Amino acid sequence: MEEKKENNNETIIEVIDFGPLRITGNFILKDLKRDTETSSDEIWLCRCGKSNNKPFCDESHKK
Amino acid sequence: MERDKSLSGERKYSNDEITVYWKPEACVHASYCYRELIDVFDPSRRPWVDMKGASTEKIIEVVNLCPTEALAWKWNNEEKNKSIGDDQTNHIKFRRPELIGNNVPEVKQHPVSVKVMPNGPLVIKGNFTLNYSGNKKEVTESIVSICRCGASDHLPFCDGQHRKIGFIG
Repeated sequence: MEEKKENNNETIIEVIDFGPLRITGNFILKDLKRDTETSSDEIWLCRCGKSNNKPFCDESHKK
Repeated sequence: MERDKSLSGERKYSNDEITVYWKPEACVHASYCYRELIDVFDPSRRPWVDMKGASTEKIIEVVNLCPTEALAWKWNNEEKNKSIGDDQTNHIKFRRPELIGNNVPEVKQHPVSVKVMPNGPLVIKGNFTLNYSGNKKEVTESIVSICRCGASDHLPFCDGQHRKIGFIG
């Protein structure tokens, strides 16, 4: 059998309960509303609709 | 024919020149269609597709934008379907068989695409692991749509509620 295990480049998308979406690994974020493109190792994206820094989480969900 | 199987449960809409196919279960509400062409694709109308709402050329252009395979199209004249270019991304001949059963797609290494849809969901495409509510889902060469408005009845996934609540963001 071939070695199938991926390296650390794996992209993981984690839905935090009652919180944001955490994305780590190899990805490109394109914001079609604000016309921006971001690539980083880790981002936190708003899922509650209330952030004042969309698409990113600013912890407004806790309020 | 295998292709016919993958077309089950879908709806068809035609004008004199083309037929548009819609596969509801493949739709992730990315919302390209109605944002670009509300006269044809209006989710609040039944039937929601009106082929009289725009030119054939414009309808093809917008169907080709659909990031999933929910929308596809073909010429009614079969002769014309034989010479379809690669740029016609959502022509029915490019639709993949269902990603189910023993049909395991080839895994490619490329960055996962995360798109923030204006006033809509996150559309995430590629190969990744999705962890939610204690579930771990391996997504392979596929697409998921994550709610950004907080109003979905199917969290964490988008169900189109952002439109109903008038989400801006």
